[in-house]
Amino acid sequence: MTVDLTVREFEADLLVSAVETAAEGVVALTLTGDNLPDWTPGAHIDLILADGLVRQYSLCGRTGDTGRWRIAVLRAPESRGGSAQVHKLQTGDTVRVRGPRNHFPVVASRRYLFLAGGIGITPLLPMISEVSAAGADWELYYGGRSLTSMAFTGELRGDRVHLTEGRLDLSLLDDPRPDTLVYACGPEGMLAAIEERCACWPAGRLHLERFTARRRENEPDSEFELVLQHSGKTVRVPAGQSVFETVRQAGVSVLGSCLEGICGTCETEVIDGEVDHRDSVLDDEERASNEVMMICVSRCAGPRLTLAL
Amino acid sequence: MGSLDRVDLADYDRFQRNEAWEQFDTLRREDPVHWNPEDAPNRGFWAVTKYHDIWAVDRDTQTFTSEQFVGLEEVDDDLMDIRRSILETDGQRHLAMRQLIAREFSPRNLMKNYESFLRELTKKTVDRALSAGEFDFVEKVSGDFPIQVLARLLDVPLEDTGRLIAWGNEMVGNTDPEYTQHQFDSPESEKYKHLPFRSPTTQDVFDYGRALRDRRRGGDGADLVSQLANKMPSDGVPMSDRDFDNYFLLLVIAGNETTRHAISQSMLALIEQPGQLRLLQEDPSLIASGLEELLRWASPVYHFRRTATRDTSLGGKDIKAGDKVVMWFASGNRDESVFENPYQLDVRRPNVDHLTFGKGSPHLCMGNALARMEVRLMFEELLPRIQDIQLNGEVTRVRSNFVNGIKKFPVTVKPR
Repeated sequence: MTVDLTVREFEADLLVSAVETAAEGVVALTLTGDNLPDWTPGAHIDLILADGLVRQYSLCGRTGDTGRWRIAVLRAPESRGGSAQVHKLQTGDTVRVRGPRNHFPVVASRRYLFLAGGIGITPLLPMISEVSAAGADWELYYGGRSLTSMAFTGELRGDRVHLTEGRLDLSLLDDPRPDTLVYACGPEGMLAAIEERCACWPAGRLHLERFTARRRENEPDSEFELVLQHSGKTVRVPAGQSVFETVRQAGVSVLGSCLEGICGTCETEVIDGEVDHRDSVLDDEERASNEVMMICVSRCAGPRLTLAL
Repeated sequence: MGSLDRVDLADYDRFQRNEAWEQFDTLRREDPVHWNPEDAPNRGFWAVTKYHDIWAVDRDTQTFTSEQFVGLEEVDDDLMDIRRSILETDGQRHLAMRQLIAREFSPRNLMKNYESFLRELTKKTVDRALSAGEFDFVEKVSGDFPIQVLARLLDVPLEDTGRLIAWGNEMVGNTDPEYTQHQFDSPESEKYKHLPFRSPTTQDVFDYGRALRDRRRGGDGADLVSQLANKMPSDGVPMSDRDFDNYFLLLVIAGNETTRHAISQSMLALIEQPGQLRLLQEDPSLIASGLEELLRWASPVYHFRRTATRDTSLGGKDIKAGDKVVMWFASGNRDESVFENPYQLDVRRPNVDHLTFGKGSPHLCMGNALARMEVRLMFEELLPRIQDIQLNGEVTRVRSNFVNGIKKFPVTVKPR
């Protein structure tokens, strides 16, 4: 008998079965395997590269294809080597992947406004296919440095698609549209501008995905300062030691059970600091709220974390 | 020594006589992973009695599966899928089904949605009980309270709570003749082996649950039944009618018996070790932290079972694929290598990492935060109101090696 370990994600070496140039500086890779897990538009996978580098890329092929995944990767000159490594991959190579995970899921709606900046088009492609098939009304505004640098323009045709060389004109967001959800992905500057413009939209309408660097598995944890607000204590959490252990060492009583981020017993309220969530308990919304964390595995993404302990 | 010869964890009567503890002590001392034979048709089981071994089994779902069922009963292969609930499901499906309502039981959501309701309910319960000087603690305090909470979570009328209590008693107490006419260890139970707990009453529970679900389908209720009726599990596989039946049954039972027994056992311990009661009364802020010690002490669930998926070894014993491996949580909670003076209730004991809810397992009690809140609120309301509480008659226990339950518990109380 085989039994899945509950929290283990799919992880496998997949064959690079096609490498295509999708635009200037952008390669599209087709990764082939057997019985790949299902995914939904907005999902990404981890590529586990040499030297322990882990990079996230959105899936941009067809959902429901359990034999092939497609990703598109922009070679970023200032990158720390992740995209450069991916660009060296050739047909016939294998690459280790993990996932998929979705922090950018599509919520049902009658109308959608998609905003893409450069390589940010990738998660939006399968979203557009899906909402289109569902009969929803949609428009895409897609901007890039130049038309030649913009991937997949050939797959995006029709009068719902508006391509722009240069920055998108975000004044189109000035009047909230009824029944419309906004999905945006692109560089940080563009997303910040979109957030500002959408301030007049009703809450919950805007959905963003950022290219922020996530935790890299094999890099050592960083040390940070931990403030236990109610106990009036401040301690250091060294690399390799959990918040849970540190709190107990500080003589503060705290509940815990599995110590592996699966049971939810050590859920603790966060007062300040950006949490690096590593548990399997919280859903995407709860993570994004930054209000609670599982202190047995999750850490701090910045220099200082304040907990209601 | 020979005292091992006197161990039989399959004998319900010894549990009813409260003789489990000396057997656990013997096993931890002499044979921590012990082969306990059973009468045919059962094949016997490994009794795991030390804290760290229990934790190791509970966390390793690949080697020790729940899919072959989790009680001592050996369920026929063709009946497993009919009776399967999330308790007997591992892997992604388990996670997806659990996630449907798991976050409803998070400490924050409970506090937000239920704490003030619960506080009021607790006060009322305590008021009513203390209006008499002598009463049965189970009947007046611990018995009805958890089920009323459950009724609220399921959003069913309070008039139905009597029925919910009787159902829970009958299922979990299926080895106690006082609770059921369909005793598990009787020849006629064979007739009902396709039903959970081999109890024909489960059909009544199913009918009741289905009627609730059908009425709430397509609605926007926030109660647990509405969520099960209207949410899609994250693996994209909808809940079948049978999935729903077994889920609903589990909620009815799990929210009922165990919390009641936890409250009863805790109160009994505080009567027997009155110094501890005084500590909590003098400093009620100790209740929130002392709660974990009370839960360690109470151990309302004696055991859950796993089944080895491959040949393996544990505590120096060779375990074969297919062997039943039983985690005796109650024994782990008295493991002297982890809890110094385990038979001393010590509400100031720090960091009590008990096994009560199934430590380390993806199956960890989903309602653990709710149970904690119920027990805490009950003692926060009750203890400051009593000047003196004494046992006033015989404590009678459930005939079961699954729940460590108290049926009757007469007390005399002098209110403050």
